[in-house]
Amino acid sequence: MSLLKLRSLQVSIGPVKAVRDVSLSLEAGECRALVGESGCGKSVTAMTLLGLMPNAAKISAEEWWFAGRDMTQIKEREWRQLQGNQIAMIFQNPMTALDPTQTIGAQIAEPLRIHKGLSRREAKMRAIALLERLAIANPAQRAEQYPFEFSGGMLQRAMIAMAVVCEPELLIADEPTTALDVTVQAEVLSLLQEMRESSGTAMLFITHDLGVVAEIADSVSVMYAGQTVESGSLHDVFSREAHPYTQALKRAVPSLENPKPLEAIAGTPPDLRQPPSGCGFAARCSKRMAICEESPPLMSCGEDHLARCWLWHKDHPERWREAEAVSLLGGKL
Amino acid sequence: MAISVFRFAPKTWGAADDLEAVAPIPLPSMANPTVILSGLMVIFLLLFVTVGPSLWRQSPSQQWLSQISEGASRARSVRIVSDNGAWRPSKKADAPSGLKVHAANTEYVRLQWPKLAGIERYRVYRGDADKPGLGLAITETADSYYQDRLQLSSEVYRYTIADADTGLLLLSREVRPEAAMSVFEAQLQGLIPVTNNKTQWVEIPGHPLGTDALGRDILARLMAGGRTSLFVGVVAPLLFITFGCIFGAIAGLMGGWVDQLAMRFVDFVVALPFLLFMILFRVAFGIGPGENGIMPLIVAMLVLSWPGSARLIRGQVLALRSQPFVEASRIAGVSTSRIILRHMLPNVLPMILVAFSFAIPQAIFTEAFLSFIGMGVSPPTTSWGALCNEGIKTLLSHPRQLILPAIFISLSVLAFNILGDALRDATDRRSGVVRA
Amino acid sequence: MLSFIARRLLSGVITIWFIATATFFAMHAVPGDPLTQEKAMSPAVRAQLEARYGLDKPLFEQYRLFMSNMLHGDFGISFTQENRRVNDIISKHFPISATLGIAAVLIALVGGVAAGSVAAYCRNRWPDRLVMVAVIAAISVPGFVIAGLAQLVIVAMNNAAGKTLLPVAGWGSVSQIWVPALVLGLGTMAYLSRIMRASMLEVLSADYNIAAKAKGVHGWRLFWHHQLRNAVLPVVTELGPTIAAITTGGFVVELIFAIPGLGRYFVQAVQQLDYTVIMGTTVFYGAFLVLVVVLVDISYGLIDPRIRLHRGRA
Repeated sequence: MSLLKLRSLQVSIGPVKAVRDVSLSLEAGECRALVGESGCGKSVTAMTLLGLMPNAAKISAEEWWFAGRDMTQIKEREWRQLQGNQIAMIFQNPMTALDPTQTIGAQIAEPLRIHKGLSRREAKMRAIALLERLAIANPAQRAEQYPFEFSGGMLQRAMIAMAVVCEPELLIADEPTTALDVTVQAEVLSLLQEMRESSGTAMLFITHDLGVVAEIADSVSVMYAGQTVESGSLHDVFSREAHPYTQALKRAVPSLENPKPLEAIAGTPPDLRQPPSGCGFAARCSKRMAICEESPPLMSCGEDHLARCWLWHKDHPERWREAEAVSLLGGKL
Repeated sequence: MAISVFRFAPKTWGAADDLEAVAPIPLPSMANPTVILSGLMVIFLLLFVTVGPSLWRQSPSQQWLSQISEGASRARSVRIVSDNGAWRPSKKADAPSGLKVHAANTEYVRLQWPKLAGIERYRVYRGDADKPGLGLAITETADSYYQDRLQLSSEVYRYTIADADTGLLLLSREVRPEAAMSVFEAQLQGLIPVTNNKTQWVEIPGHPLGTDALGRDILARLMAGGRTSLFVGVVAPLLFITFGCIFGAIAGLMGGWVDQLAMRFVDFVVALPFLLFMILFRVAFGIGPGENGIMPLIVAMLVLSWPGSARLIRGQVLALRSQPFVEASRIAGVSTSRIILRHMLPNVLPMILVAFSFAIPQAIFTEAFLSFIGMGVSPPTTSWGALCNEGIKTLLSHPRQLILPAIFISLSVLAFNILGDALRDATDRRSGVVRA
Repeated sequence: MLSFIARRLLSGVITIWFIATATFFAMHAVPGDPLTQEKAMSPAVRAQLEARYGLDKPLFEQYRLFMSNMLHGDFGISFTQENRRVNDIISKHFPISATLGIAAVLIALVGGVAAGSVAAYCRNRWPDRLVMVAVIAAISVPGFVIAGLAQLVIVAMNNAAGKTLLPVAGWGSVSQIWVPALVLGLGTMAYLSRIMRASMLEVLSADYNIAAKAKGVHGWRLFWHHQLRNAVLPVVTELGPTIAAITTGGFVVELIFAIPGLGRYFVQAVQQLDYTVIMGTTVFYGAFLVLVVVLVDISYGLIDPRIRLHRGRA
């Protein structure tokens, strides 16, 4: 059974329908990238998965399972036991996500004190050991320092330490390298990868950087205007992209091997206060059809490869032709 | 901030004439009903103290001896009674059978009662008719008559006669004194000619808010006091902010050691304990006959309050000096005075306005505080704070005399504060002036 | 850190010198002198008195004498209360003012922080509205009016109860401290709660607050460890001016509640032009305030590590 299974999540904050239809699933130890442009609902999805949305937000899902628990029925107190313990998060900007008035060591030790009931001393020892594993020199001394005394890359390592200290089953990383210098990005990424692999933690990696995705992820989900529009393995999504949005996204990324003029995606994403009734991408799509006035469901376009696009409907002419070709070749494709 | 950097840039690079254009000074947003209300309140207060006295023509210093600490009253006619001092019932009159009232007006109540056998001394009590109990024991006498002249007003009293030795209650009667005024006071107020003591009735004006402990009309005093309070509240900030701005601008524009020295001096002035020095300077600048105390107050505030705006303006000038659009103008050969007038002034003016609007309630408060402790304006000049000072003495018996001027102080402080808030919000939105 | 404290203390000493000098000359600018206020006296007696108080010397000589006496901690003898040393007046009456002031600061600080936090937590709901209306009222109504109204309320309460629940004025018992202290601290409390509300709102939407929640930190632990310490910083910066405002604002409360504090003596001394008492109290208050500002700066460093460490290195 999957570690996380989420079907048709919807979140609205006041008039804004920030997340309209997100389906995700993660196996234990898997790293899934959640890709999309800013404002498409990635961060809201992450916050919802952590139970951090304000009470004013309206959340509903057809199905939501985490580690064998039905999350649609979960109570506030149970959430608190999950947060930081079984689900942890790495924030985008380590400069603002660490409490300026607490020492780094105390902040890393805090989840241990809350969830594992360790003594102050013991928790601090573990925090120091973890800092050492994250290649921070003089960890004992560093643990006594305050966030303003750390550089950005170091802070993000402290942030990682804070997230993995209780060995959670799911780690959500919300653009963990965006706020960092390019030179330390790779370093932080490889550390993250290393920590994840050694503890077998599953990770939901939120980013808009396709290069990072290729480096770190096993599978990819693409989001657009509050919906997951495509999901599949890294290879499926990157080399057999099925949704026109994913295709457009790829054309907008520079490539060294295959230098072509970059194409920006024309138009702007829809206003999520009044989302379109049909396909969210239709207004900007070059392959728009009449049926796109209706909202497409997720459709299979390969093994474990889904796309929210009418092109992949079994009644679409091209699918007919494919089916014909397959039968002609005797199913050898 | 990015917007403010380039706000003037296109003009800087345009034809010389374009430089004449300046950014308009932001006005407070008038959409907020609270702001409209406080604006109306300010207008009302200003009208109250300026136009008010010509509509309500009572003198704020006229004392009505017959109307000490009275409640609200209408214009009415009162009886004029001659003031004969001591009184005794005429021998001819028979001893009454019960408690007899010979006269009852607000100048005197004359009582007579039968001599009762075996009682040597009588005690007379006076109490409010609508309250239980005997009230105040006003005298003990061996006579069987008494004239009560103790602070009478037109309400119903109950007089009780008791045996002073045993405390046995003998007689009781309710009396309502008629509104009256002595000949002496009527002549003093000019209501009747000095030669005339025949007039029976005279018209006297009402007091919509009552009178104070010296029988002066509170409404008229509120108008007169408000004039002082608002005058000090507006003029003092005007002066000290102007001075502070000039000081700060010079420091900021000169820079270097002049700036350093100037700011050190500002630090020292800021360190002076404000109220202590207000009191000290207030005394130092004006003790003498005929001083009303307003000028010393304003001078003391000027001496002590300018550093705030000096710091503000200096910071702004320093920040603006290094702004790209100012540097660009300088490279383009625009003269210094033109840069100050065209680029710096429009940018700091809104801040000065905001500082000014917040300084007004502060100054009103300071004036009220000093007048309250008797270190502000000197009598006969009055202010809301001075009125509070008078009012607190009669607080327990007549709280109105404190509360009325207090309401005016609070309303004006509140209204100016809300206007200041609105002005600041409007300024913050409109101009991205660099925060120092 | 030590050099920082040393520098602050040095500038404090210069400030006190400035205060003393300003007081001296402001006072001597007052027309007349303490002796002219007395009843007519013979020239011989007057000369004798002038000699006693040093008023016969030139102004600069008087200034020099005053300064050297002050350096030895001696403020001289009162003009109007004969044979009473200014030092005695201060040491007798300042502790009373200080007690009142400390109680007021504590009430203002605790009340302001609590009210501001509650308002921020309940943003735009009724507790927030209530706090904000109370804040506006407390800021707009002068302290002496609040003091008067408080007395009215106490009297009404005592009358209704038929016995003395609370004393209306005076000094000496604990029940006589907290009403004047509350009155004195009310305006400051309002001001602080406004600052606290704004900074708490900022903290509540800060990344580190969300990050702490993501770690599973909730409830009181979240409030104490993460929110309060950050939100209280702007309040602490305001503490210096606040204490200054409260100590001097104490004058009026002392007058109204008949508390024998130093403020009352100062007002009296100014009215009677009692040179030595004016000088003594002003310099003493000035020194006290300078000290308070330095202490507040240091305590700010203790709460905010950024300042503590930066200044320590400087």
